Amino acid sequence: MPHRLEITIKPHLFDAEGEGVRRKASDYFGIDLQSVRTIHILTIDADLSDRQLHMLQQEVFTNPVTQISSYDPLPVEFDRIIWVGYRPGVRDNAGSTAMEAAEDILGIKFALHQAIYTSKRFCLTGKNLTAENADKIAGELLANDIIQQWRIYGKNDWDPSKGIGYICPRVILNHEPRIETIPIDSDHTLQVISDQRRLALNPRDIPTIRAYFLDEDVRAERRLVGLDQPTDLELEYISQARSDHCNHNTFQGRFFYKDLSTGESNVVDNLFKTCIEAPTLELMKKKPWVVSVLWDNAGVGRFDENHYYVITGETHNSPSNMEAYGGAITGIVGVYRDPLGTGKGSKLVMGSYGFCVGERDYNGPLKPKLHPRRLLDGVIEGVRDGGNKSGIPTPFGQVIFHHGYMGKCLVFVTAVGLMPAMIRGEPAEQKKTSPGQLVIMTGGRVGKDGIHGVTAASETFSDHTPAGHVQIGDPYTQKKMHDFILEVRDEGLIQYITDNGGGGLSSSVGESARFSNGCKIELEKVPLKYQGLDQWEIWISESQERMTLAINPEDFDRFMELSRKHGVESTVIGQYTDSGKLHITYENKPCAYVNMDLLKSGFPQWEFEAHWQPAEHRGFFEPVIGEPDNFKKLILDLLSRPNICSKEWIARQYDHEVQATSVIKPLVGAGRDIHTDAAVIRPVLNSQTGLAFSQSLIPEYSAIDAYHMTACTIDEAIRRVVAVGGDPSHIGGVDNFCWPDIGFDPRRNPDGKFKAAQLVRSCQALRDICMAYEIPLLSGKDSMYVDGHLSGPYGGTHKVSALETLQFSAISLVNDVARCMTLDSKMPGDLVYVLGITRDELGGSEYYQHLGYVGLNVPEVTPSKFSLLYRALFRAIDKELVASAHGVYRGGLGVHLAMVAMGGHLGMKIDLSLIPCEGVERVDTLLFSETPGRFVITVAPENQETFNKLFKGIPYACIGNVTQKTDLVIQLQNREIFHADIFELKSAWKRPFKNL
Amino acid sequence: MSKTRALVLTGFGLNCDHETAFAFKSAEAISERVHINSLITGEVSLDNYNIMAFVGGFSWADDHGAGVIQAVRMKTKLGDKLLAFIEAGKLILGICNGFQTIVNLGLLPGFENNYQNRCVALTWNDCGRFRNDWVHLKVNTDSPCIFTRNLTHLELPVRHGEGKFLADEPVLRQLSDHSMAVLQYALPDGTPAGGKFPFNPNGSLNDIAGICDPTGKIFGLMPHPEALIHPTNHPDYTRYHQKATRTGKNLDECGMPPLGLKIFENAVSYFS
Repeated sequence: MPHRLEITIKPHLFDAEGEGVRRKASDYFGIDLQSVRTIHILTIDADLSDRQLHMLQQEVFTNPVTQISSYDPLPVEFDRIIWVGYRPGVRDNAGSTAMEAAEDILGIKFALHQAIYTSKRFCLTGKNLTAENADKIAGELLANDIIQQWRIYGKNDWDPSKGIGYICPRVILNHEPRIETIPIDSDHTLQVISDQRRLALNPRDIPTIRAYFLDEDVRAERRLVGLDQPTDLELEYISQARSDHCNHNTFQGRFFYKDLSTGESNVVDNLFKTCIEAPTLELMKKKPWVVSVLWDNAGVGRFDENHYYVITGETHNSPSNMEAYGGAITGIVGVYRDPLGTGKGSKLVMGSYGFCVGERDYNGPLKPKLHPRRLLDGVIEGVRDGGNKSGIPTPFGQVIFHHGYMGKCLVFVTAVGLMPAMIRGEPAEQKKTSPGQLVIMTGGRVGKDGIHGVTAASETFSDHTPAGHVQIGDPYTQKKMHDFILEVRDEGLIQYITDNGGGGLSSSVGESARFSNGCKIELEKVPLKYQGLDQWEIWISESQERMTLAINPEDFDRFMELSRKHGVESTVIGQYTDSGKLHITYENKPCAYVNMDLLKSGFPQWEFEAHWQPAEHRGFFEPVIGEPDNFKKLILDLLSRPNICSKEWIARQYDHEVQATSVIKPLVGAGRDIHTDAAVIRPVLNSQTGLAFSQSLIPEYSAIDAYHMTACTIDEAIRRVVAVGGDPSHIGGVDNFCWPDIGFDPRRNPDGKFKAAQLVRSCQALRDICMAYEIPLLSGKDSMYVDGHLSGPYGGTHKVSALETLQFSAISLVNDVARCMTLDSKMPGDLVYVLGITRDELGGSEYYQHLGYVGLNVPEVTPSKFSLLYRALFRAIDKELVASAHGVYRGGLGVHLAMVAMGGHLGMKIDLSLIPCEGVERVDTLLFSETPGRFVITVAPENQETFNKLFKGIPYACIGNVTQKTDLVIQLQNREIFHADIFELKSAWKRPFKNL
Repeated sequence: MSKTRALVLTGFGLNCDHETAFAFKSAEAISERVHINSLITGEVSLDNYNIMAFVGGFSWADDHGAGVIQAVRMKTKLGDKLLAFIEAGKLILGICNGFQTIVNLGLLPGFENNYQNRCVALTWNDCGRFRNDWVHLKVNTDSPCIFTRNLTHLELPVRHGEGKFLADEPVLRQLSDHSMAVLQYALPDGTPAGGKFPFNPNGSLNDIAGICDPTGKIFGLMPHPEALIHPTNHPDYTRYHQKATRTGKNLDECGMPPLGLKIFENAVSYFS
């Protein structure tokens, strides 16, 4: 018989959670509620004595100062009640910590079928609050039907003695695990089975797979271990390993590229090899600080002689698009396992985020699963809880609003780690498995989570079928594992470590066993969340917070001792061998026996047709607009544009100072409220050396040409780190591609060939620009198929594809953090300089977008010229000749002069006619062109001469000075173009999201 | 090197242990990060330490009230040892999650030598969510608090979702009668914030940011002194640095507030 404890805040106290619901109901839906009170419910599905129940209530779950509680429904006033609880199998983090506490204080152990479930009861009061409105609040604000269930009660159908009853979302599978063999008598048979089982085998792979299993020698070997035809587990393993997600078939594909304007065509064989691997290997020769790239979970660069930094970036788009909070927290917690599983393991020192969503105030006819506003709320909170509860600072992030992301949102998550250069005399970045070592799974348990990813979303739910496809990351469990792993690492116990992410054990064990060339796994040893999983499910489950390690048998006892100390579950699931075989059994029954090198053997390469058509041939042109005369209103309006305005409400929710490493924070300036160019941390507490980190996203330029989108995105990321004092000779890059489907289909994807050409051009820009700036790519990932089919006004669906998007991350060294720069002007009387030449490059700019145009003159990067300037600026900052430095990004000088002034709480007097430019006749072009390669800096008059010497031969000009009076005054020679108080600018810049 | 030994708790989701240990080390203490379970199993004994620090983080994920489950575990497994530690006149510091924990343990406010009475609370910020921002702090110079000796004001970051200080009127009165409200959120001019957001970032009653027990040996605060252990940690560092280089003065002369390290130095020097 379960028990139900209801807990709520004392009636006279303020209920912040309830108030938040009340406010959103009014802001989002215009539903006016009088009050909302929250009741937290623990449903205890275990037989406990009254004494034990009383103890839990008094000692743990009720704060005597602020809360009241009862095992009977609490009599809280309401007009409507909304109860929200999880579906079976959804990770209930609070439920499991409740169990941990209960076991602790009662000295008991919950059985596998016993549990504590958390849920919430919201008591809403409001004049004529209809059931429909209550249901809207439940379904569109408080709950997501993918992971949660809810009930609405009115005054009449609420029984104050029974309350919500006893709802236990326990997973009951009633299923006897069994291994199936799959007939492969024909390609057709296998194809049919692949479709039925959602194996998603590529038709072109099927003959290769059959050929292997039909090979006589292979069959002979298999018969010896009791196998013949392939098992379901073996095919699931192959399908995982061959998926685009794990194998990056798109980037390794053959592209038949054709420029339709010239008729020229060529074949690009393998974008990864030609545009990412080759340049990086080339640059490694010049850059001794590149320690380890292109093979591990993350890239490794040298921080100082005793430390290496580790970096990688991921996306978690599809899950976030369905369940924003769960998808985002799983994404950030997941990417944190990459540095943890790099080399012999590294400590996490920083994270960052990038969100791309539809217009926040969208009120058009399309119906996405989640409205962009709700989706953004969810991903913000997901990354926040994932980062904050992991104790990892999040000092940088960006948000881009664009209609293209209505189909599918983008959630970029990036992680930076730090490892000692040596561990007990062994190089920390190296690792391998050897025969005889133990295969250990540590961290969380295995359930049906993430099996076959989003395809499961279409399944219908019963009360006890697990909603396995959407996961909720558990930073608490992972933080314990993180601390545990660092301690065993420092004792030299880790021979190999990698994380369980996509593909679960299937990929972590499969990849680690390549080093020893074989392994023998006993699947029944894998700890499960609940009984009834088939063997293949255990093998490919993506249940989170797990790492796979190789340990020497003699180290096992000490390893387990530390595992217990940290409250982490670790299990031996097998042994590494040199048999050349991946051998899996379950209670001695054979499940798999395949060659380790099977996946490398002759699978066909994917092929794409890529047709390029230059923008002018696609009907793009420069708009015909006369020069505006009201620049004040124009600049105020630009400052209020969603992709320019203040996002302070997001930055403040992220702990960006934990670990005490913070040097340059996300918000800087006299008011501590302007977004920084880049973040700087000082990850080694007794050192003056810093890491500068930045990211950029300018997908709008892809409308014209993804080549220049890519070039400008990389250039912006570089300028961002240089602006804070980063060393241009030590910049590592991380590329994260998010692309719409590039596979041509006359009906489903008619512009596939063009999108494929954009991808080729983007990769070529990545190669060209990184070579020119000498930026090795330390890590990178690709996420294809960023499209969605949304139902429209008349029921039919509409395909919405994202802009071709690249997020580029730059990480750089800062020799001495004491000399770091911020963007804010510092002193009246300082001189204002513009560095770099301004050109007529308004194509894709915020200015054109604001006026409803795209244009044609997309900004272009000339690295040979720019890099001279960047090096000069680096020297000037290093010699402390600069008082402030800020890059010129979206919105151009008009916007970014304002940022410098707003940052300093000081005025500025500028003469536009002094700005170095080429082919620019108009004031609006000067002010809003987004030409890359430029900075605005301020310099103390006494440093002017030295500065000028340093910049000899580099395009720059002094265009005005900083003033005590807080006005930004822009003139063209003596004609005043613009005049506004900086606090007026600031309020315009903050207006759009000021109430969030 | 002083012989003062500081124990910094770690494990179960705590996350400010490294920098807190570093802060004590910088203050010339012998400081060690000790896992909560190592204390419970007896592998490490409290007796060997002069100072115990409950640090920031999300212990047991804070799912059931910040610091609640950590307090339960400490009370059930270490209760008597903790009281003996206090009895021995040693120092206890609770920062953020650590403050929440020792308040739930009843170590604070510790009226009439009763260190098991839970009568103040740190609950959800009025804004309803986690907030990271810097605050001005007014130090109560009349307070017996050992950790804040010779300090009049501080600037430190707050990083919490549950920092609103709550207590009944009589408790609040006792706190002020005995000058136990050590830290108050303040306006930039140093006067109490009067509940004004964002200067008082969470709605704490009487702007209370930190309190001590009547002896001044147990101190809890929501802001993070261990997050200002280097000048560049301060959000206005680059501005003070410009002033300093141009006037030839040092950072303090340019008005830069004291480092949070002072709090740790006060604790360590108390024993030497």
